Formats: sequence, C-alpha cells, structure tokens
Amino acid sequence: MSDDVRRWSDELARDPSSHVFLNLGEALRRQGQTAMALKVVLRGLERHPQLAPAHDLLARIAVDRGELERAFDEWDIVLRLSPDNAGARKGMGFLCFQQGRLAEAERHLSAAANGDPADASIASALAHVRDSLGAPPSVPQHEADAPRAGAPAAGGQDARTVFAGVIGEGYQTALLLDGDGLVLAGAYVAPDGRDVAQEVGAQLSGVSDEAQRAMRHLELGAWSSIVFETDAAIVAMAPAPRGGGLLLVAAARDTPLGFVRRLLGRVSDRARQWLEDGA
Amino acid sequence: MSSRSPFSEMLATLIRQRGVVGSMVVSESDGIVVDSNLQIGVKGTVVAALAASLYRKARLSASAAGLGEATFLQLEAERGRVFAIGRNDLVMVTVAETRANIGLIRVAMLRALEDGGLG
Amino acid sequence: MTIAVVEPWVEEPLKRFVSEARVLLALLLHPSGQVLAQHGFTRAMDVMSACALAAAIHASAGELGRQLEGKPFAGLHHAGRERQIFLAPVATARGQYILLTVFDRESSLGLVQLYYGEFQARLAAAAPAAPEPAVVLAENFEGELNRNLAVLFGRG
Repeated sequence: MSDDVRRWSDELARDPSSHVFLNLGEALRRQGQTAMALKVVLRGLERHPQLAPAHDLLARIAVDRGELERAFDEWDIVLRLSPDNAGARKGMGFLCFQQGRLAEAERHLSAAANGDPADASIASALAHVRDSLGAPPSVPQHEADAPRAGAPAAGGQDARTVFAGVIGEGYQTALLLDGDGLVLAGAYVAPDGRDVAQEVGAQLSGVSDEAQRAMRHLELGAWSSIVFETDAAIVAMAPAPRGGGLLLVAAARDTPLGFVRRLLGRVSDRARQWLEDGA
Repeated sequence: MSSRSPFSEMLATLIRQRGVVGSMVVSESDGIVVDSNLQIGVKGTVVAALAASLYRKARLSASAAGLGEATFLQLEAERGRVFAIGRNDLVMVTVAETRANIGLIRVAMLRALEDGGLG
Repeated sequence: MTIAVVEPWVEEPLKRFVSEARVLLALLLHPSGQVLAQHGFTRAMDVMSACALAAAIHASAGELGRQLEGKPFAGLHHAGRERQIFLAPVATARGQYILLTVFDRESSLGLVQLYYGEFQARLAAAAPAAPEPAVVLAENFEGELNRNLAVLFGRG
C-alpha cells in the first residue's frame, strides 16, 4: 500500500463524509485495484450522490472493468449534474468511438474540445474520429448559411455594421439573432472593446422562448415586443422579420423608453431589408 | 382572493388603471399567486406561473449578459400587454388590454415598488 | 429528448409535459408500482426504486387525505434545496395512474401544476378504452415489472 493510499484511507476512516474518497478511489484505480476502487467510490456516492467527479470516477472505473454501458450511464449523470463537463464528453466520445458510433463520437468530442481547448488528447481524438468519418466536421445548416459577424454579407456589407446607419451614435446597439440565438448581424461591443454579441445574444434569446411559451396560454395572440429595464440598460426585443429569429436593441439606461421602441421598429425594417437582399 | 393582505390596496390601485384586467403578486421562484385582483375570465394561476417565469428568465439572462439586474419588464402582444416588476422573490404582475396607457401603468408599478409594495 | 414508454399512447402527452414544463425527470406509473413511461432516468434500478417509492407515497398520502378530509389529497409537492418533486394522480378511462416529476430552477411549481393539468387532459384523451378488469397485483407482477423495465431501457 502506498503512503498516499494509507494516508487517504486513514483520513476517510476519520471523516467518512470527506471528499478524499475521490483521491483514494483514483489511486486504487491507477494501481489496477478496480474492485476496491469501486467499493470506495460507491460508498462515497452514498453520501454525495450529486457529486459529479464521483460519477466521473465511477465511469472510469467501469471502463477499466469493461462495463461500458455503466460507464456511459455514469457520464450521462455527470453531464446532468455539470453540463459543461469536458471529461464526461471525452469519455462518452471514446465509448461511442469504441462502439463504431462515429457521428455521436464526433459530437461528444467536439463539445469536449470546446469545453477544454487546451487538452491535446481531446483534439487528437477528435482529429482521429473525423479522419475515420472521412469527411469534414458537420456544420449546422444555420451556421453554414448564416452571414457570419465580421464577414462580408449581402451587398458586400459587413454583417456587423448592418444597423450602424439606423442606431446612430451613442450607447445603442442592435443585433439580429437566428432561431438558435446565434448572431446573424450587428455587434455588441463591451466597454473593454470586445465584441460580446454572441454571449449577450445567447443569454437573451432565452427570454423570447419564454415569451413564446407564455403566449400559447395567455390568449393574447403573438408577442410583438418585450422591453426590460436593467440597472445598466434598456433592452428591447422583437421577433425577427423572417425565419424565426430575434431582434435585440440595447440602449443606455437613461434613453427614453419611447425612443427605444422606435429604434426597435427601425432596426426591424433594416433587418427585413438586409435579409431580403441576402436571400 | 377575498381577505385583505398587505398587497390588497396596491393591487386595487393598479386594477383601477384604464385597460387593466388583472393585477397580482406572485412568488418568483414558485410561480404561485400570493394575492390577486382580477377581472372575471382572467386565469390567475396561468398568468402567475408564466409571467413569473418570464420575469425570472429576463432577470437572470440580463444579469448573465452583464447588463445588471432587470427591474421592469413589459411584453406587448396582439391582444394585450403584460407588465412585471420584482423584488425579494416577489413579482408584481399586471395584465392589460392594448388600449391601456403603458406610461401610467409603468409609473404606478414603479411607485408601488418604491413605496415598499413588495417589501 | 428521450421518452421511453411501455404503452405508445402515453408517449405524446408525456413528451409535451416534459418539454413544456421543462422538468428533469418524469415517471408515469400504475398505483401498483408498475412503470408505464419515463424521461430522464438512465438506470433501470433508479426507475424501479422511484416507482416503488412513488406508489408507496401515493398510497400513504391518499389514505392520510381520506382520514383528514374524507378524500385523497390531489397532489403532493416537496421542495428540496436544489430540486423539487411533484407527485399527483392522473385519471384516464383505463384507470388511475401516478405522475412523479422532478424539477429544478428551470421550472417552478406553478409551471409544473399548469402543465400537469394539461397532461391530465391529454392523457385522458389519448387513453384507449378500459381493458377487462384485472387483479391489481397479478400473479406475474414481477415478470411484468421486469418486462416493462426491459422495454424502457431497450433490453427487451
């Protein structure tokens, strides 16, 4: 028994609710003592059933024991507890690859690579899977078709500056998002100069989903605009003129509300025109 | 709800506004009506659940997008309007017809909040 | 979204419920504990335990309601720190079922109750005519239970 294993065993005996079972289980797994590792982690999970790293460890022990279905189930639990967990995605990608489910493997590994771009092993596994697929990675249709922010689009105009002529100067900004909350046009520049349009768009597009759901029950017909005031800004949104997307306008907190509503109307007209030109 | 609550007077003030068909205080996290003053035909429990959820989503999304805490929200639809303002896990919700005066309702709700209407 | 069902007429109403109410887990079962459909569970063992517990809780709460108010309680809600459960009966032409659902902050009790009401109506409309009366705990209950779990987890 190594010193570490002995030390962690003692610590766990003193405090059975300690998370040290994770270190102990991992050490035992690495030593090939999978039955003992399994016992340790299962006992830990009895006390900490919502602890994602414990389910992750259980999944890796299961792989070592050849219990692939169990491993998949455990990583699935990890993702429910911690949706961005790159380790679980990596593991599920590995299992799918082992089982010849290449498209699924590619999907999991892509997500893992997004979550942990620095992990060379994920990048290499992803490249391997893509080689096996014999084709370039699948790009969702909307991304492939969409004019990307920063890229020249309809009529040769930069998609980021489509609304520049409408919103004028000052602290005002406008975005056109597609049905998945991805930016089609416009920009949102943070005080530090970064374009945070994707982040802001992704966060705020959920509000329109919520409105849509509410409208199905409130017998008020379709929604035409949502305006909300925050500590820092006034945000107005409306359904995009075409294609199920969303228009978003943000202005400084002290901007008159009526002006923001008019701005939203003008941005909507501009978006319609731009989408028609690009179609 | 017939018995008087700390919110009754505030809700009565709001329902007197032109075009307002219902006003209520809702628990933001549960989407359950705390008190309400509704015209006949307004489904209080449905409005409460959905409006609280919409308000919460806007509040959390605005915060996540770095825009600070959402205070006042208004939604316009073909046949009506919904207004919401919140504090302390309570949301004041007003439902109105399209003929309602947005400015007056907004001011009335902001004033009610300032006066400690939601604690 | 993955919904696993033992009887196909249950699928659409449950799918709508899960998607609209945005719940994490949903389980529809017979009051005897036999599972009809599930969403969100990854292990047969979890479903089996949840069914047994839900059936027992439903029976106890029903009896408590009968003793206190002369009729069973309509629904039961328990709020944990992160997650909440809602357990309620659903009446159909084929008899009564129990819906157990688990949700977090993505949903709310108000939303779950709202969509539970719709689920009740949809399930009642989708249910085929009542079968011949049968004993609640059939002789082959355990075999049925295992068959249902096998169907739900694709090992049938």
